[in-house]
Amino acid sequence: MTVAIETRGLTKRFGGLVAVDKVDLRAAAGETLGIIGVNGAGKTTLMNCICGLYRPDDGGDVFVGGERVTGQAPHVVAHRGIGRTFQVPRVFRRMSLIDNLLVPVLDRKAPDAELIGRAEAMLERMQLIDLRHNHAEELSGGQQKLLEMARMLMPDPPIVMLDEPFAGVHPVLCKFMIERIEETAHAGKAVLLISHDLTSIYRLSTRVIALNQGRIIAEGGVDDIRGNPAVIEAYLGT
Amino acid sequence: MAARSRALDSADRIYFTLAALIGSVLLVYFASVPLLGLNVAFHFYLMLWITMASAFNVASGFAGYMPFGYVAFYGIGAFTTAILVKKAAFPLFLALPLSGVAGIVLALLFAPTLRLSGIYFGIVSLALAGICRLVITNMPEQLTGGSFGLQLGSRAHPVQSFYVMMAVMVVALATILWLSRSRLGKALRATRDDADAAEMMGVNVPIVRLYGWLISAFFPAVCGGVEAWYTNVVDTETAFNTLTTAKTVIYAVAGGLGTVTGPILGAVAMVWLDELIWRQFPLLNLLILGLATIILVLFLPRGIVGTLLRKKPQWRRYIP
Repeated sequence: MTVAIETRGLTKRFGGLVAVDKVDLRAAAGETLGIIGVNGAGKTTLMNCICGLYRPDDGGDVFVGGERVTGQAPHVVAHRGIGRTFQVPRVFRRMSLIDNLLVPVLDRKAPDAELIGRAEAMLERMQLIDLRHNHAEELSGGQQKLLEMARMLMPDPPIVMLDEPFAGVHPVLCKFMIERIEETAHAGKAVLLISHDLTSIYRLSTRVIALNQGRIIAEGGVDDIRGNPAVIEAYLGT
Repeated sequence: MAARSRALDSADRIYFTLAALIGSVLLVYFASVPLLGLNVAFHFYLMLWITMASAFNVASGFAGYMPFGYVAFYGIGAFTTAILVKKAAFPLFLALPLSGVAGIVLALLFAPTLRLSGIYFGIVSLALAGICRLVITNMPEQLTGGSFGLQLGSRAHPVQSFYVMMAVMVVALATILWLSRSRLGKALRATRDDADAAEMMGVNVPIVRLYGWLISAFFPAVCGGVEAWYTNVVDTETAFNTLTTAKTVIYAVAGGLGTVTGPILGAVAMVWLDELIWRQFPLLNLLILGLATIILVLFLPRGIVGTLLRKKPQWRRYIP
C-alpha cells in the first residue's frame, strides 16, 4: 500500500516541555489511523506539526506522498493534500456556509459556478443544505463540526486529519459523522483520527497508536491496543 | 440542484441590480449637485467620507485590522500632491494618482506590522501615523512649508475637484463591490475570522492581507490629494489630524463593517447628523455626535446594515 503520510522522529518542545517526542507514524491510502491518549498526551500538537502550524524540533520530519514537507508554511502543506478539522470548531464565523466551503478551493482554476455546485453537493451530503446562506456562527456546535468536515473534504485531499470530531456531539449526529468518516476512508483517503471516544476509535481504525507524554507507548491493531497494559495504565492509572 | 442554481442566479441578478441602482442614484444625485446649485462643500466632504469609510472597510471589515493611524495615508497623499504640484510643477492630474502611489509605498513600509493583530496592531498603527507626521513636520521648510503648510496658489477649482472626488468615490465603490464578490474578498474574510484556520485551508495569509492593505491605503491617499486641491492648502496639523481616523472609523462602524453598503449608509447618515447638530448646536457639536455614536454602538453593535442582515439573514444574498 502507498504511504500517504509519514513522520520520522517528530519532536516538538515548548520550553522545557516535550509535547511530541520522536514520533514515527505512517498511514497508507484508505487506512484509518486512530490516535489516542489522555489530555496533554500531544495528539493535537502532533497534528499541528504535521500540517505546518508548528515547526518540528530536533530534525524531525514530515512526508506527504513521499515528499518532505517539514518547515513548509501551512498553506503549502494544505496544497500538498492535507485537510483537517479542529478540536473546537474553527469555522469562518461571519461567512456563509457556501463561502466557508469555497475557502479551501479558492486557488482552483475551475469556474465559480462549478465550485459553488460542488459546495452545495457537499452541504447536501452533510444535511446542511437548507442553511447554506446562513453565517457559520448561527449553527449549533454539532453543525459546526459537520461544516468543518465538509470544508475539509471540499478540495478532495488524499489525507484528512480529524481532531476530536465527536467531542460534545449528540449520539445521533455522532453516528452520522462515523458513517461519513467510513465513506472517506473507503474513498481511498488516509484518515488520522484523534478521539477520546474509544468505541468510535475501535470501530473506525485499522490501526491505533497510543500517546503518553508525547511518546508512542503502544501501536498496533485494535485488539492489540485494547488489551495493552501500558495503554490501560495510561488511561486508567491502574 | 438545478432549481437551486436558478435561485442563485436570480439572487445574483437582484444583488447586481440593487448595486447598480444604488450606484446610479448616488451618481445622478452627486453629479447634479453643482448643476442645481446645492452645497458643493457639504457634498464634496460627503463623497470623501463615503470613500474613506469604504476603503477603511477593506482593512477592517474584510481583513480584520483596526488601523488607528489610518490618517497617515490621507496625510501622505495630501502632502504628495501639494509637493508635486507646488514644488515640482507636476500637473494636478498626474500628481493625484501619484499620491495614491505614495499611499501604497507607505502601506508597503508599514506591511511588517500586519504580523500583529488586535489592539497591538492598532497601537503600532497610531504610533506610525505620529511618526509620519513628525517626519514631515521636520522636513525642510522649503519642501513642506513648515508650520504654515503649502498653498497650491491659483490651482483651486471647487467644481473640477468635486467631480474628481466623485470619480474617486465611484472607482473606490466599484473596487470594493468587486472585492466583496471576488476570491480575494473571500480569502480576506476567512483570514479575518480565523487566520490560522484559513492558512491551514490553503490561504496564503500574508499575501492576501497585503493585497487588502494596499487597496485600503490607496484610496485615502488619493482622497488626501483631492482634498488638498479642493481646499488649496495643506499643513501637518489638518493633514494628520486624528479626528480624520476617528470619523472614518465611526462612519464605517455605524453603517456596518464587512458589507459594501454599510460604510456608505453610515457615512451618509453620520455626515448628515453631524451637519444637523453643527447647525443647531455649534458649541456642542462633538459632544452630541459622540453621544450619538455611543448610542449607535450600544444598540446596533454591528452597524445599521450589519444588524439588519443579522436579523434577516436571507437578505444577505441581495444586499451588497
